[in-house]
Amino acid sequence: MTDMLDHLSRRQVLAGSAATLMLGTAGHLVPAWADETCQSPYMPMITGQEEYMYVWTLGVEGVGDASDKMVTVDVRPGSPTYGKVVNSVSVGGRHEAHHAGFTSDRRALWAGGLDTSRIFIFDVASDAGKPRLAKTIETFVKDSGGAVGPHTFYALPGRMIISALSNDRDHGGRTALVEYTDEGTFVATHWIPTKEDPRGAKLVDDFADGYGYDVRALIRKNVMLTSSFTGWSNYMMDFGKMLQDKEAMQRFGGTVVQWDLHTRKPRRVFKVPGAPLEIRFGWGPTSNWAFTSSALTSKLWLIYEDAKGEWQAKEVADIGDPSKIPLPVDISIASDDKTLWVNTFMDGKTRLFDISDPMKPKQVYEKKIAAQVNMVSQSWDGKRVYFTASLLANWDKKGADNEQFIKGYAWDGKELTEKFAIDSFKEGLGRAHLMTFGSSKLYSA
Amino acid sequence: MRRGVTTIGLLAAAFAAAGGVWLTGSGGQRVGRQAFDLAALRALPDQFPRTADFDFVPPEPGSYALPPIKPAASAVLLDHTGVRVDLGSLLKGRISLVSFVYLTCTDVNGCPLAMSLLYEIEHASRTAAPLRVSVQLVTISFDPKRDPPAALAALADPRRAEVAAGHVMDWHFLTGTSEEDLKPLLKGFGQVVDRGTDLGRINHTLRLFLVDASGRIRNIYGLGTMDPRLLMSDIATLLLEQAGAG
Repeated sequence: MTDMLDHLSRRQVLAGSAATLMLGTAGHLVPAWADETCQSPYMPMITGQEEYMYVWTLGVEGVGDASDKMVTVDVRPGSPTYGKVVNSVSVGGRHEAHHAGFTSDRRALWAGGLDTSRIFIFDVASDAGKPRLAKTIETFVKDSGGAVGPHTFYALPGRMIISALSNDRDHGGRTALVEYTDEGTFVATHWIPTKEDPRGAKLVDDFADGYGYDVRALIRKNVMLTSSFTGWSNYMMDFGKMLQDKEAMQRFGGTVVQWDLHTRKPRRVFKVPGAPLEIRFGWGPTSNWAFTSSALTSKLWLIYEDAKGEWQAKEVADIGDPSKIPLPVDISIASDDKTLWVNTFMDGKTRLFDISDPMKPKQVYEKKIAAQVNMVSQSWDGKRVYFTASLLANWDKKGADNEQFIKGYAWDGKELTEKFAIDSFKEGLGRAHLMTFGSSKLYSA
Repeated sequence: MRRGVTTIGLLAAAFAAAGGVWLTGSGGQRVGRQAFDLAALRALPDQFPRTADFDFVPPEPGSYALPPIKPAASAVLLDHTGVRVDLGSLLKGRISLVSFVYLTCTDVNGCPLAMSLLYEIEHASRTAAPLRVSVQLVTISFDPKRDPPAALAALADPRRAEVAAGHVMDWHFLTGTSEEDLKPLLKGFGQVVDRGTDLGRINHTLRLFLVDASGRIRNIYGLGTMDPRLLMSDIATLLLEQAGAG
């Protein structure tokens, strides 16, 4: 608890008091800032030892009950069930389970299906070790006016902002940000600017594609960023088939949009070719920047505020050998802003970049996790790093290379050491994707 | 701009010592569609400085929309004199900034921080007619056992004369009839209150709710968004919307 309080103070100093706060007492709700270093800073977070890891898992025909499910892994060191699955909640059917995110009070975990556009809301406060499906939103497309594929769930006070991936008109990449109340009532849709309809944004490179993927914010600067991937017609297509389809390969996003966080109005559109995916802001008081990685071009990009107070985008490093298309997928920033984990799906490697100078990232470590690797999450202190395998149901490797797992590692600053590995096919779970942390200490009862 | 005090009572005392004058609520004159000088409305955010916590130029009032989030929940509460008040009725006709607190809260990032912000807004209302005429502060204790009407009176009574004279905006202090009766109200607003085993402290999320004159929640603020300039911009946006000039 002391650690948590220390971190709270530190984060408030570092980040300028930019968070929703749970007022706490020892052993109960904790005033804390972060566990996984990539969550919304509006929510209470776990700066000490995470107890559980929630893994949003894609159902696979012939594996277990074949349905998508929210899986709980016990990650309490010393627990008899450490590294084991201790709970699993099936949502029935396959929806292309992908990402999930907590509400700002961290009492509920929203998880989306990219195919059916359903949103599953799990109660994680009543029993942190046993999430309960509390509500399903089946009207996302209708509510939003045509957005498809709810992806990132980013907490705002009392609300959830969701970046979608597609639309119901052509199932391409043009899409929107969609807001709901924490109770699951639709509030508003904000379409991502296109060249034809820039919605007041400045097109810095005379380009805007209207695509979406991740959404993150730097509250202190009132800046929100979105990145861009591809639409339903591609992410539901067989990967090999898509690579041979020249037209399909043209339908990838190539922009990052800067928004006014408070008004949700787009301000500037940057050309960032090759499908920029996850966005990670720095945490420091002067870290007025964010990283993103472009999947198809294998580059690290920095989105940053310049000396004049204008935000810019700059390519700052290669990830592996871009000519081999290693396909960078998830990234995870350390809480001290000094390092960044980057997973590359095709070679199954995780790579650590020194980002002490964010303009000049340098790779300092790499390790092959498996034949394929996708998501990475780290604890606030960076000493524990977790990995899952699956990218998308139709994009995962086939045959022997289709290794499906949830793995936990210890990081001592020099070497990753495996602590547990779960074969998610053998366990009847399916394809494991997003990981996020839970703790009973966040709740008093 | 944040005052470094640990309880609401100390905060009030500090403000008074700094020259603030506490006056009593008037009982609420209702002005739904008061016309204001547009320049005065758009200047509301300028009353507060840019800070390191909120290091940006606030949005221009009226340049954006605040979509209704949900209806504000209602309940029968007690005011500082013990009179029963229907919250739903109180919230109609004026813009309200609704907050939930408990008076013995000592967390500097909890209730005292919210109250500090509300004191600043109240103080700004001395020179901002739109705030005095069309906006009210509504602070509700979720700890009725320790915050009975008499406890609220210590905050409400000193304000009465100045509010009645129209010098500062109205500020209503309310409490529940019981913890049980408050639960639907808290749930309706989405205000998490989690009572642990430590009876002295109550865990809760820090929230402010902007409620329009029709009783609809139009914005929700947490610690990271409690920039008085953003609140002023939002209030001015709602007033411009009411005036049909947004």
